[in-house]
This record gives sequence, C-alpha cells and structure tokens, in this order.
Amino acid sequence: MNLSLHPLILLLLFPGGLFLLNIGMIYEWADRKLVARYQNRQGPRWFQPLADTIKLLAKEEIVPKGVHKGLFFALPIIALTGALTAGLYVPLFGFEPAFSFQGDLVVTLYLLSMMTLCMGLAGANTVSRFSLVGATRALTQMFSYEAPFLLALLGPAIAAGTWNIGEINNFAGQNLWMIIAQPIGFVVAVVGLMGKLELPPFDAPEAETEIVAGALTEYSGRGFALFRIGKDVELVIGLTLVVVFYLGGISNPIWFIVKSAGLLLVVAALQSMFARLKIDQTVGLWWRLGALMALLQLVAIILGRYLGALIR
Amino acid sequence: MGIGALLGDVVRSLFSKPATEQYPFVRYAAPDRLRGKLVYDPEKCSGCQLCIKDCPSNAIELLVVDKKAKKFVMRYHADRCVYCAQCVDNCRFECLNMSNEQWELASTDKAAFEVMYGKDEDIEYLLQRAAQPGADEPPCE
Amino acid sequence: MTNSSGEKFVVPIGPQHPALKEPGQFQFTVDGEIVTGASIRLGFVHRGIEKACESRNYTQDLYLLERVCGICSHVHATAFALGVEKLAGVEAPPRAEAIRVLGGELERIHSHLLWLGVAAHEGGFDTLFMYTWRDREVVMDLLESISGSRVHYSLNVIGGVKYDITDKMADEIRRGMDFLEERTHYYMKVVTTDDTFVGRTRGVGIMTKEHAERLGAVGPTARASGVERDIRFNAPYSAYKEFPINMIMDTTGDLEARFIVRIKELFECYRLIREILDNLPESDLTVKVKRRIPAGEVISRVEAPRGELLYYIQSDGSDMPARVKARTPSLCNWATISDVAIGHKLADMPMLLVGIDPCFSCNDRLVQVNRPNQTDLNWSWDDLRRYGIEYYR
Ligand code: SF4
Ligand code: SF4
Repeated sequence: MNLSLHPLILLLLFPGGLFLLNIGMIYEWADRKLVARYQNRQGPRWFQPLADTIKLLAKEEIVPKGVHKGLFFALPIIALTGALTAGLYVPLFGFEPAFSFQGDLVVTLYLLSMMTLCMGLAGANTVSRFSLVGATRALTQMFSYEAPFLLALLGPAIAAGTWNIGEINNFAGQNLWMIIAQPIGFVVAVVGLMGKLELPPFDAPEAETEIVAGALTEYSGRGFALFRIGKDVELVIGLTLVVVFYLGGISNPIWFIVKSAGLLLVVAALQSMFARLKIDQTVGLWWRLGALMALLQLVAIILGRYLGALIR
Repeated sequence: MGIGALLGDVVRSLFSKPATEQYPFVRYAAPDRLRGKLVYDPEKCSGCQLCIKDCPSNAIELLVVDKKAKKFVMRYHADRCVYCAQCVDNCRFECLNMSNEQWELASTDKAAFEVMYGKDEDIEYLLQRAAQPGADEPPCE
Repeated sequence: MTNSSGEKFVVPIGPQHPALKEPGQFQFTVDGEIVTGASIRLGFVHRGIEKACESRNYTQDLYLLERVCGICSHVHATAFALGVEKLAGVEAPPRAEAIRVLGGELERIHSHLLWLGVAAHEGGFDTLFMYTWRDREVVMDLLESISGSRVHYSLNVIGGVKYDITDKMADEIRRGMDFLEERTHYYMKVVTTDDTFVGRTRGVGIMTKEHAERLGAVGPTARASGVERDIRFNAPYSAYKEFPINMIMDTTGDLEARFIVRIKELFECYRLIREILDNLPESDLTVKVKRRIPAGEVISRVEAPRGELLYYIQSDGSDMPARVKARTPSLCNWATISDVAIGHKLADMPMLLVGIDPCFSCNDRLVQVNRPNQTDLNWSWDDLRRYGIEYYR
C-alpha cells in the first residue's frame, strides 16, 4: 500500500507520533491481559495503560538529590524520541515505512538501543544504590543481547540481499516465510526481543524483589511515564520487525494485526513460563547459546546463497 | 530436566475462566459457620454477663434497664469485635449468635459500628435517658 | 564495589522494599553482584503482646496470642491451650485433640502453599505464584467452612475445641485434599524439573548439617539440612500420639532441598488429614477448666509450619497468667541467612531470605534499647517518649 502524505503528518500523526503512542499502549494492554490470562487472572481493563500514563504525567516529578538535573530530564525524552524515530523506518500497520533508505535496518536497531542506553545512564545518574545496580545490569544485558539480536535479523536481510526494511518486507511477502527456512534465527530474534524489552524472564535489570525498579527507581511522574511509553513503542516496533523478517512480511493492516498479535501471544506465554534468570545466567545464555546459534545460522545462509549462485 | 514444565497449565489457563472472584458483582454464599456480625436476642438473656467477662476486646456492654423484669439492652461495638465467637460459646441461654449474612461491615463513619440490641421500647427509653442532661447511663457490669 | 568516597557499597533491603512486605531490615554489602557481608535488624513493630497477656484472663489471651501471626495463628493458640491445660491438670477429649491436629495440618498446608507462592515470586516466577495461591484458596475455604473465619480460626478454647467436624465437612475436606494432592504433585514436578527455576535453587545457599545444628535452625530449614528436628515426631503432643507423622528429611541443604522438604510435607499433611478424618474418635469437644489456674510453670512445644514454637507460661494461681513467653521459629532461623549469604550473588538474596519462610510478625517480640549512660532498667513513660523522639530525630 502506498500513501503519499505530507511529511509532517507522517511524523506527528500517522504512522509516527500520536498513532505510535496509542498503538503502543494498546499492545501494552494486550500483553498485560494475555499474561494475566495465562496466569488465570482477570487482567486489566482496556484503558488501564492510558490511565496509568495520565496519572503518571499528572504526578509531581521528584528530582532526587545528587543527580545531574539536565540529564535527569533529558534522558526520558531522548529515549522516547529514539523509539519514535525508529518507528518511521518500519512498515507499521502494513504501510510503507514513512522514510527509508539503504541501510535503515542498522539505523533502526541502533535507535532501538537508545532506550536501554538512556535507562542505563538514568540509573547511573542517580546516587540510589538500586538504580546503580540496575543500571549496571541493564547495560550488561544490552551488551549481551545486542549481538545475537542483530545477527538474527541479519539472516533474512542477507537472504533478501538488502539492508532496507521496506525491501525486506516486500521480499518476505513474496517468498516462503522465513521462519521455516531459518527457525533458529526466529527463536533467537524472539528471545532477543524479550531481552531487549527486559520482559520476564530477562527482567533482572528491574527485578523488583532485588533492586526495586532497577535503573528507574528514582523516576516518578513525567520521566517515568515517558520511559514507559518508550518501552511500549519499542514493543510494537520490535514485534513488527520480527513479523516483517520472519513471518512473511506485512502487506496490509489486517495481516499486521493478525501476525503481530499471534507473535504477542507467544511472547506473553514465554513471559509467564519461566523463573527470572540471574544476570550472569542471562549473559551466559546469550553468549554461549544465542550468539553461537545465530552465527551458525548466518554461516548456513551465506553458504546457501553462495552454493545457490554456483548451481545457477 | 526441561524447560517450560508449566506449558500445559499456561495454555489451559488461556482458555479457561479466570479464577479471579468478581466480588462486588458476584457474591458467593458464605458458609453456615461464618462468623459475621454478632446478633443478640433480648428475650432469652438472663443478664449473667458471662459473655462480657471473656470478650477479649471489650466489644460488648450490657445496659440494664430493669433487672427484675429482665430488661437488658446490649451495646455492641462492631469495630472493636475480633469475631472470635467466645461470647457465643459462653452464653448458656443461646441468645448470642454470629450472623453469616451480615459480614460486609465496612463503613465510612464510626457511628455505624455502634449497635444497640434489645426491645425497641427499652432502647427508646435508654436513649431518652441519655439525652437528658446530667443523667448518667445505667450501670453496665 | 566502593563508591567514590571509598565507603562500602551496601544494598539495603527493607524495612520497606518490594521483596519484603513485612518490616525487617537486611543490609548486604556487595562487591559488584557478589555479597560480601550481611546484617539483619529486626523488631520494627514490637507490639508488646507478651506483656499484654499478663493483664487478660486465660481465655482472652488465647485470642490475643492467636494474633501473633496471621499465617500460623492456630498453632499459637494450640501451644498456649496445651500449656494451660497441663497447668490445670486436665486433658482435652480425644476428639478435640484430633480436631486440633486437623486444624494444625490444614494450616500447615495453607502456610506451605503460601510460602511456595512467595518463594516463586521472589524468583520472578509469577505464574507459579498465582497458581499456588489460587489453589491455596481451596484449603482456605475449607478452614472457613469448619471454623467460620479464613485467618483466625479460633478453633481452640481452653480445654478443647469449639467446632466439630460433621460428616459433610469431612467429605468436603477429603475432596479438597484429593484436588490439592494432584496439584502438589504437579508443583513438585515444576519445582524440580524446570531449568530456569532449578537454576535459581540448586546448589544455592547450601547449609551443612553441622552448620545448621550450630546455628540452631529449626523446622523445614533444619530438616532440609538433615537435622532430625520435628516436635511432632520427637515429642508428640496432642493427637500426634495417636496419629504419628513421618519426618520428612533431605540432606542436600540447598534451597531446592527446602522446596522439596516442604512439598513432601504437604503430602504428609494430606495423608494425616485423611487418616484423622477416617478415625475421628467419638467424644465430647470440651472439658471443664476452672477459671483460676493452679500456680506453676510450664513449657509447651509444638511444631509450627516454620519450626518449633515454644511457649513458657507461668501462673500465680489467679485467672491471669503471671508471665507468658513465646519463642517463635523464625527467630531461630535468621542466623542461617546472614551466615550463608556471603559469597552468593545479590540476585540470590531474596530467594535465600524466603528460603527459611521468614515470618516477621513472629519476630517482633524483642525491642532493642540503647542505653548510653543510663543504668536504670525501669523507664517511665516520659523516658520512653523522650527516647522515641531522640531515636527518630
Ligand atoms: S451470656 Fe448470654 S445470658 Fe448472659 S448476659 Fe450474655 S447474652 Fe445474656
Ligand atoms: S465475638 Fe469475640 S470480640 Fe466479638 S463480642 Fe464476642 S467475644 Fe467479644
């Protein structure tokens, strides 16, 4: 589908800005509801994330002693901006990405990492011990999941022969679903996504029973709300990316909803099935298993392409 | 060894009704023995005050209107009561009981927790007496 | 890890912290993620229950002591009632004793299931937490239908019990036990086979038998380390003489062993409850006990879900006790945490903490008084007030 809209509309209303925020909250609700149902609970009503956000935005923001004020306020904004900008390069809702160029995949991934980086900095910025431990963990975890996740997304990119998300989307739409050709990559990508979003069981950086809320312990009110929305947006973008790369792309809104909801179903089930991993277990899992598997997959794909070319 | 030992239950839960109780909308019947609000039957009371003696939280008072005619009024403080049913156990005339219907006792004002049990005219009489200036309440205990 | 000024990096857990919903403070000195030191501070909500007992009569005390703890309320009352009955030289009728034990075992089920959920939650396994607590409702409902209350059953009176078990109830309880037994098998499987969970419990917090004995551990914590310590077995009281239990032991001494011991104890509870229901003796429910208890002193020991619970009761011949002293199980187990914690990861701490099934309301019977230059032990109300103001300044 190709829409020609004014760039400002693209940026602020659809598919960027407002739309992304709303869909982020809807996905957060869906995620929470699903986890609740998996746990045989009732779960929140549909407006809960919105109500939470409004409440947080309206609350007083307490600036703790000993922080760098500028950073304290800037970090949540940068984090949210990063997530929102990443949304512009992704074929959200089945529309062509608002902006695209060769190599936007790499840019998108880095924009998505901004969030964690900002959280790490936010934690390190305060003097709270919980935040410091949380920040250390968040950054450690970022270094471990980044490589496998990237490798997992590279697989389809190499198969498609392009680094442009839009083109990969088209390629995926016309070919066999890549989950069949590259099952390992899919697993690594889903798990990597969960690691990226610090969803259970990879939530050591914000393990409430150990370090309260991790890096964000000192955040209240607006800053916390922005971080939360940023995370929601990242959830949507992450799901979209995995769907685009592995589940046969998305050509229209209905496919988008069906496929991303299906993926969310799996992600929510994974969230409810495991005990939290310790940070050293997370890192070990990633480097020993995740990276290795993704690498194997990659080698296999490159070899396959090479051989394919030879045969042809 | 394995991962996802919980898988079966997790999937089953998705398709079954949540275990959450929809409390204010759906009320389950309380069991027969539920210890709710204390109720008092003035007809049978002999005024022996055994119930008061062992109440751990001083939640009940017996106001004597006329000892000979066995006219008593019981003042019950639901906010002090710990619902232990010791008073019910102590009473030999079975005039005390704990309701299994009245157990939603939350209230925003304290007055609701002070309950007078007795014949209407006795309560009326006591209230009138209490309203008169200078008059003390009838002795309890 | 030290901060810029060279101080030690201490992570405080509590008195207000999402890991502990109850007041108690733990300070863990950490080096990176590794714990290098641990200290414990208790006594935040001292309520003066023991003292309050001295100004109430024995029957009233029963209800007061039941409120020492909201989880193991029944054993407190049982311990006290047994002690007072011993002082008075009476024995509750056999049916009453059986019902007491029945209540105690039902309570143990609810306590262990509650613990399983809490422990799972501390390990970030919220689904298991939700499931165990959902299933725990079954036993809570049973207790409610027997006694009329979910938390403070008030089954005991001095000299017997208040409530009888009807045939209909017995059937209900049997059905509940069947359901719970099946679920417990399932939880056993999850706890011992799920890799993520086992990764957090196996080999964590190992306490050897000698260590446990030296620290004076009690209850399932001690039994998981191979210490044979179970009052129901060592010194059977009440109806445990007629309905003996098998002591559940493990020798590994790690967190997993504590899970296994508690879960196996659940099976033992189910077995015992069925046995009691099948062989409920016929008799009255109470014997008459005089209001005034003959002078003397007694020690009464029972096995609470968390371990040995000890009551010391002294009577001076009046209808009020002269002294009541309770020694609760959690208090004996604290040392095992601070001793074992060193060398573990910070992430293990919450699991290690709940490993002993800590009960904070159990603990708050000591008050720490710093008396800089004061030798007088008797403090007036004013002194206490001034001390309080100084303390919180
Ligand atoms: S024990 Fe019964 S009869 Fe005696 S005063 Fe109380 S209610 Fe009346
Ligand atoms: S139920 Fe217990 S606390 Fe309430 S009035 Fe009766 S004896 Fe007192």
